[in-house]
Amino acid sequence: MAGSSNIGEASDNPVGINVVPMVDVIFCLCLFFMCSLKFKQLEGKIETWLPKDRGVEQTPPDKIVLEEIRVFMRWIDGRTVTKVGNRAPAGSDLELMQTINQMSNDYKKLGKTEFPVLIDALHDVPWKDVIHVLDLCKKDKLERIEFAAPIELPVKSGN
Amino acid sequence: MSKKGIAIQEDITPNLIPMIDIMFLLLLFLMISSDMAQRELEDVRLPIADVVKEDKPDSDNKEGERLTINVYHLLENQASCSVYEGGGICREERHWRIGVKGVDFTDMEKLFQLLDKEAASGRKGDNPKALRVSERKVMIRADGAAPYGMPQKAMNVCARAGMYKIDVGAAQPSPDGGAPKKSSH
Repeated sequence: MAGSSNIGEASDNPVGINVVPMVDVIFCLCLFFMCSLKFKQLEGKIETWLPKDRGVEQTPPDKIVLEEIRVFMRWIDGRTVTKVGNRAPAGSDLELMQTINQMSNDYKKLGKTEFPVLIDALHDVPWKDVIHVLDLCKKDKLERIEFAAPIELPVKSGN
Repeated sequence: MSKKGIAIQEDITPNLIPMIDIMFLLLLFLMISSDMAQRELEDVRLPIADVVKEDKPDSDNKEGERLTINVYHLLENQASCSVYEGGGICREERHWRIGVKGVDFTDMEKLFQLLDKEAASGRKGDNPKALRVSERKVMIRADGAAPYGMPQKAMNVCARAGMYKIDVGAAQPSPDGGAPKKSSH
């Protein structure tokens, strides 16, 4: 009867395990993982296409598609200047999209549905500005957005 | 006559078992959530876009079948670039790297060899005209501060390899509208 009163108690266990070093090690591991933990930034993708025939075959394409909305992007005087076709540079995003939408509507009126928006940026334009234009076009439901064939120029040296 | 005090020694031992249990769970959570695998995604400040699609694996293009090309700013010998650190656009070409799965592919010929090999799995059909075209997807994750010339080079090599399905990596705008932090997994 006397033996059953201390079942499960520490005194009942003749070989006690010292858990303190284990706790120390686990603390260190926790600390390491907590310090190295990085929360993922919410990121995603924007789908674009490259022309299928570029770099694939050297023969000229069967038909030359002239219906396109070409957005030129140039880095002038420390800022990105954007213009559509041979029009004047757009002063704002709104102005740029109005021009693009106007051209898009003109094509639609003529019954043309297959016209790409071609982003023709020079090598020194910041990538974020290119993505900004891409974003604006996507927002206005222009799905066919392509990048113009690159001009092989070295990136300017020096900042 | 002095009274002898009765010394009562209480053995107060804290029960460590629940604490160990909790710490094990915490450790398990941290170990699972940390990515010990080889880095596919480099540290970049992605450009912000409102129309970013959640990057879920498509039904026809499994995640493993897409190749990610990173364009990131990296200087040798831990040197720092004041322009980039200050949030500016660094136009020094040698400051930029093009990497795939943690390997430097800034050399375009080397990148082409890799992409050409990777594109082979996505090439279908018997049509000789379409033979070089690959259905394999490529994601270009370029730093927003990179000059367009860098991702453009990568795109050019993709086109040479017949890879025309390009996803562009972008970050969702943060609720506070702040500048994006460097992103990696």
